[in-house]
Amino acid sequence: MLAQENAAKDLLSGMRTSWFRYSALIVLFVLCWCGKQRHGEAVNLTDLFPLQISSCECQADTATYDRETIFDYIDGAGEVYRSFDFREVAVANYVCGDGAKLRIELFDMGSDADAYGVFSYGREQEEIGIGGGYELRGSVLSFWQNRFYVCVSVEESDASAGEMLLAAASTVSQRLPQESIRPSLIDLLPSDNLVPYSDRYCHLHQALNYHYYLARENVLHLDSTTNAVLARYRPGSTLLLLVEYPDTARASSAAASFMQTILLGAKNAEPMSLASGKFASCEQISRYLIIVLESPSVQSALNIGELARARVAEFLSQGQ
Amino acid sequence: MSKPIHLVTRRDFIKGAGCAAVGLAAGLPVLAEETPQEIINKSRVVLIRNRDVVSGDGKIDGALVQQMLDEAMMALFGKDKAIDCWRQIIKPTDVVGIKSNVWKYLPTPLEVEQAIMNRVLEAGVAKGNVAIDDRDVLGNVVFQRATALINTRPMRTHAWSGVGSLVKNYIMFVENPPDYHDDACAGLAKLWELPMVKGKTRLNILVMLTPQYHNVGPHHFDKAYVWSYNGLIVSTDPVAADSIGLKIIQQKRRLAFGEDRPLQPIAHHIAIADREYHLGNSNPGKIDLIRLGWENDILI
Repeated sequence: MLAQENAAKDLLSGMRTSWFRYSALIVLFVLCWCGKQRHGEAVNLTDLFPLQISSCECQADTATYDRETIFDYIDGAGEVYRSFDFREVAVANYVCGDGAKLRIELFDMGSDADAYGVFSYGREQEEIGIGGGYELRGSVLSFWQNRFYVCVSVEESDASAGEMLLAAASTVSQRLPQESIRPSLIDLLPSDNLVPYSDRYCHLHQALNYHYYLARENVLHLDSTTNAVLARYRPGSTLLLLVEYPDTARASSAAASFMQTILLGAKNAEPMSLASGKFASCEQISRYLIIVLESPSVQSALNIGELARARVAEFLSQGQ
Repeated sequence: MSKPIHLVTRRDFIKGAGCAAVGLAAGLPVLAEETPQEIINKSRVVLIRNRDVVSGDGKIDGALVQQMLDEAMMALFGKDKAIDCWRQIIKPTDVVGIKSNVWKYLPTPLEVEQAIMNRVLEAGVAKGNVAIDDRDVLGNVVFQRATALINTRPMRTHAWSGVGSLVKNYIMFVENPPDYHDDACAGLAKLWELPMVKGKTRLNILVMLTPQYHNVGPHHFDKAYVWSYNGLIVSTDPVAADSIGLKIIQQKRRLAFGEDRPLQPIAHHIAIADREYHLGNSNPGKIDLIRLGWENDILI
């Protein structure tokens, strides 16, 4: 952030006209503010709620919940958010001119990647146009933007609900930092035969088990320092799981654990038939594991594994 | 009034031997010599439905709820009068906590709470010795000195435990619920060993009037994913009741999605409550399911 400020000061000293000075001050303000947002410094979430959205007025009962108190708001499902770097959620209720009730929940997820992660958790479709992407389902519209995950919901879903949700979400979106960066691990998924919107980004084994029940034990040694993405591929419902560890040693240890526990002693990248009759494999490349699950044949497991290996190798060759 | 299916033969069968099986699951005294072993090992579950209990606009008919509960109790305990069933499980000297559920979108309906309260009072319990609570059970003086518990809640899909179940409903008896959240809440049955709870549960009522079969996002609720099933599941065995409820939810998902779409996460805390904690029976072969009333789209 210091570099941004210095750059802006240099820029300012070169300006001669007041118009340019004024513009530069705006740039400086935006850079500093975005920097704060990006690096997770304290932001009063309730300040981000619009006081008015069309005919809907924000009520005085705005509330916030942190990692400890989130269960007071959404009971055990709060664990979904806590499985990411969730900081706090602010909740605002709106009452509209026609009596309709609107609720906005603004989750600070700590990073763009984790905002995307929680968005991807139960996503079935995705639209572009609000934040990094949004999904409108029934009475709820959710979107992710920068390090925020936002849910807008109406109490009663009728014909006008969709329009109201879109308007409210767009208004909130305008008040948030605009840049939204998906987790880099998503880019490593091969695009061939990938089922759209099927990727799920997470960190912990409990979260992975939500999407695909692997085992009660944490056989992949997942924790808050690991990144994982699970995605579905055709043919059938083959799953590709990519896991990124902080270092190669951690990846090796997890690969050994997985091969011993799940693949019953298979070799690196060798597909193994499991009790379900489907095939699975595991391959370690540097600090990454490439795991194929639920593949209908040896060949399809090899194919998807090979495509993923090429993507990871290319990424590593770029010095990443 | 709903017509019990196979009522006569089942009632005859239940009388005598059947009550002992119920008593065992509830932790009540059982005269084992009166009961064949295979009956003891089974858990009786009554699923009762009424076509009219939930109206088109979602209103619940309290009188019909009472009638359904009474019929279910008679079938469960093999008695001709509902009040005799309640007197079998609740003594006038008992202090009774009715553990409800207040989740804002789908709480235990007031009509169900009232139907239970009516019969507990009718069984002779003093008004000051019975309370209904959820979030404040630890601070509730009636629950603190309770000698008997009635456990009731609606079944719904849940983003961390698969379903909100009867087994899960006792989570409010701990100071720190996250202690039980590991592995999709696998160890929820441990709750039933807590001193405030252990051996006190006399009845479990899983509300299936308008159950929820799918989630929107991690914690949201949408009326599109509830349906009027119009049922109650009643048992002294919470695991058996949950297992039946879970099967109905899973079948509804198959029909709604047109494919076998597993719950996320899997609701394995129910099977684990049986397999590892021996709280009750989850195996269909060990559940004696009695279906009463409306049979349309029963899903099980």
